[in-house]
Amino acid sequence: MIDMIEKEDPVISEEEAAQYDRQIRLWGLDAQKRLRGSRVLLAGLGGLGAEVAKNLILAGVKGLTLLDHEQVTEESCRAQFLVPVTAQGQNRAQASLERGQNLNPMVKVHADQDRVEDKPDDFFLQFDAVCLTGCSRDLMVRIDQLCSKHNIKVFCGDVYGYYGYMFCNLGKEHSYVEEKPKMVKPTGNSSDGPEAKKAKIDPNETTMVKKMASFCTLKEALEVDWTTEKAKAGMKRTPVDYFMLHVLLTFRTDKGRDPDPLAFPEDSRLLRKIREDVLETLAVSADLLNDDFISYCFSEMSPVCAVVGGVLGQEVVKALSQRDAPHRNFFFFDGRKGNGVVDYFGPN
Amino acid sequence: MFLSNCCGAGRGFSSIDLDTIDVSNLNRQFLFQKKHVGKSKAQVAKESALQFCPTVNITAYHDSIMNPEYNVEFFRKFMLVMNALDNRAARNHVNRMCLAADIPLIESGSAGYLGQVTVIKKGLTECYECQPKPTQKTFPGCTIRNTPSEPIHCIVWAKYLFNQLFGEEDADQEVSPDTADPEAAWNPEDTATRATASDKDGDIKRVSTKEWARSTGYDPAKLFNKLFKDDIMYLLTMDKLWKTRKAPTPLDWQQLENSARPQEVSAGSGLKDQQVLGVWGLCQLFQRSVETLRSQLQEKGEGAELVWDKDDPPALDFVTAAANLRMHIFSMNMKSPFDVKSMAGNIIPAIATTNAVIAGLIVLEGLKVLSGELESCRTIFLNKCPNLRKKLLIPCVLDPPSASCYVCASQPEVTVKLNVHKTTVLSLQDRILKERFGMVAPDVQIEDGKGTILISSEEGETETNNSKSLADFGIRNGSRLQVDDFLQDYALLVNVLHTEELERDVEFEVVGEAPDKAPPPQSTQEEVKSITNGNKDSAQPSTSFKAPAEDDDIMIVDSGEEEEEEEGASSSTAATSSGSKRKHSDAETGETSTKRLRTDQSSAAAATNDDDNDDDDIIALD
Repeated sequence: MIDMIEKEDPVISEEEAAQYDRQIRLWGLDAQKRLRGSRVLLAGLGGLGAEVAKNLILAGVKGLTLLDHEQVTEESCRAQFLVPVTAQGQNRAQASLERGQNLNPMVKVHADQDRVEDKPDDFFLQFDAVCLTGCSRDLMVRIDQLCSKHNIKVFCGDVYGYYGYMFCNLGKEHSYVEEKPKMVKPTGNSSDGPEAKKAKIDPNETTMVKKMASFCTLKEALEVDWTTEKAKAGMKRTPVDYFMLHVLLTFRTDKGRDPDPLAFPEDSRLLRKIREDVLETLAVSADLLNDDFISYCFSEMSPVCAVVGGVLGQEVVKALSQRDAPHRNFFFFDGRKGNGVVDYFGPN
Repeated sequence: MFLSNCCGAGRGFSSIDLDTIDVSNLNRQFLFQKKHVGKSKAQVAKESALQFCPTVNITAYHDSIMNPEYNVEFFRKFMLVMNALDNRAARNHVNRMCLAADIPLIESGSAGYLGQVTVIKKGLTECYECQPKPTQKTFPGCTIRNTPSEPIHCIVWAKYLFNQLFGEEDADQEVSPDTADPEAAWNPEDTATRATASDKDGDIKRVSTKEWARSTGYDPAKLFNKLFKDDIMYLLTMDKLWKTRKAPTPLDWQQLENSARPQEVSAGSGLKDQQVLGVWGLCQLFQRSVETLRSQLQEKGEGAELVWDKDDPPALDFVTAAANLRMHIFSMNMKSPFDVKSMAGNIIPAIATTNAVIAGLIVLEGLKVLSGELESCRTIFLNKCPNLRKKLLIPCVLDPPSASCYVCASQPEVTVKLNVHKTTVLSLQDRILKERFGMVAPDVQIEDGKGTILISSEEGETETNNSKSLADFGIRNGSRLQVDDFLQDYALLVNVLHTEELERDVEFEVVGEAPDKAPPPQSTQEEVKSITNGNKDSAQPSTSFKAPAEDDDIMIVDSGEEEEEEEGASSSTAATSSGSKRKHSDAETGETSTKRLRTDQSSAAAATNDDDNDDDDIIALD
């Protein structure tokens, strides 16, 4: 779908050129055109969803659909800046629409109040990329499977207190370009002297190099077998955030919601229990992940949403514009330490 | 951006910005919309932020933070200061104000895909000026005037030309052939002969470029032939320059007009501005822009001067035309108007996502500061690609203050090498104390037993001293100057070393600093690093000191050191010794600039990370 873009509307208007100037100077006009032809689905308009929405709208995608069945609560207003404080009780996607659209009138922003799980398969096929936040593990796995069959780029992400992650599946053969400095061959005649004869890196000229990357499904990424020798050997370098994610996704499935500060004591107890179970099920050491994270994984912290939303937003931009190496395939952020790591989980 | 993050945290604060909103800001500065273009950033940001959080207390100042009104007392009102500045002078200034008021400061910068955040606390951490930052790159006069070899040299030349013709004439921005170029002389005596010869000819040295232009009525064809034909032909007579270089080829207006073909409009899919113009097209652009600028001057009246602005179409057109014609003359590939604008305007590309990440990090550090958890504060670098330890965001332990810092040490002191006979008092004030040492309003006393006041920050008091040399006041080798900036609450002792042997075009040298080297040809990261530390002007080498601050979103992109592994989880991810990765060892060599080099071999070798041998502390950006 993305390849058809250039035939659609090759001309960038003056208005677009002026507004997008500072990003065109970074990622180039071709990338901007591809963005301009891309349609994205964003599920979940919590704190993280709002950040991603903002980033994609500012980047200048063709269209962004905000999909959320939830209602605005008092808490939503705190971590989410697209929803007015007066919008409590309204649908979150609908409430985010006005401010979202105002960020960039050149993007078509829609609000959809349905549940993600109720959408028929072909609903997703109209998009070039799908970004899921606040979804259950099973739902994410199902949609990831469906989308990757149709070459639709899939992104997942969540923020839990100080922690956050992003996952992406860009398909088995995601092609992209990287800009590299050009080597200039000497042209000179013998009369030009020795200086002119040297080949140099011309700091002003670059060339585009074509590359390819391959991604596994979310299911494969989450179902890594930790009992193999190889997995055990790699354990030292494995971010524990991955296991934390398992715990939090399990909690979400069990309770139908994320840890709630208003239910801190019971939810903490449950998290502790889930932690033990998860580590046991995955057959990894119980020492791997201690309980410290539990106090810090409640509620969406807005600065953490900004960080994760920034990284996730940029990954969507990269994938749609097919420019620059994608992060493969998880990004984990620990807001207490200021640590952000990229790591691959899946079959080799 | 962090204004909106902070609102969630529910505190009151003030924001200061002298700038107004431009359409090019809208791709990332999401507190502003199209309807706000032209309005005050501080004011509109406040209004938008209040929408998210109506209960928070925000005061907006449409002003420069360097205004003396914002004195130490003003700063003391705050628990925390956060910078989102775009030039080094302002950062140095705020650094000093926060030291003086003893308020924690969160510093940050971003450019393109990169960025960083750090925390500065007096007595606990390095201040912003503890580590010398690379000064912005400048090119030698003879490269600009005689032997340009890269498009940027031609662009710098064109901007100088603009000032010489339409703006404030500056003796350091000469555009005519440099007859005193040492490279041109077959024998050393030649240089002097040439210099006097051209004086006799009178055309180059005696009449200022502006006067000459005025005498021709700013006739474009005459200007053209002088700059692109006569002056080039003069350069050709300096034959030694062209022994190993490709010689320039002069252009003639009449000839070009006669052989002009209609400009081919390429059917390319780029922006109109991204097309490189043909030579006659450039001539026409030169003519049109000269005529427009000429009228602008006339309209402004007697003694008027224009200031170059990349957003003023005729000013940009002029530089585009003049620079490209010069590139053509010197056989370089020409640049499109789009590219010229980037280079001449020091435009730093910027996007919403990078700034969102940095803003989030700023707030997270801020929360640590406000909770009294200073020891958990970090410097955090954002990279384009993960490093060998898979890190995209790299937290580093903060360094303690440098004992020899000329700003935050208890008795700051520096030594400056200069020629006491040639350096004027004005030069000392403007070039050395203000520009180099970041003072805003210096007062200078000579330690001569008489307390002679050399410079007073009060206007008019010491103006008569300005044109005198330092020697005129008895300053000589070993003299000491007591310098105070009362606004910054900053006292600096300057030791003077007299020398007659400074490099060409160099007026003074600060002792103890590595001489300014061109960065090694490398990945984008090195380039960005040389943009480092928020000098808007240094996206490219200085093309004008008077250009108003351009693009926002600065970049301290000091994507430097590795951090401690404080995983906090368990023994299986063992912590490593953090000290090994810090660059303290470099301090001995005095090569402070290398502290910021990623590829620091000694540090890599010292890294005793229990993990891998492949850990080179090299961050591959590409």
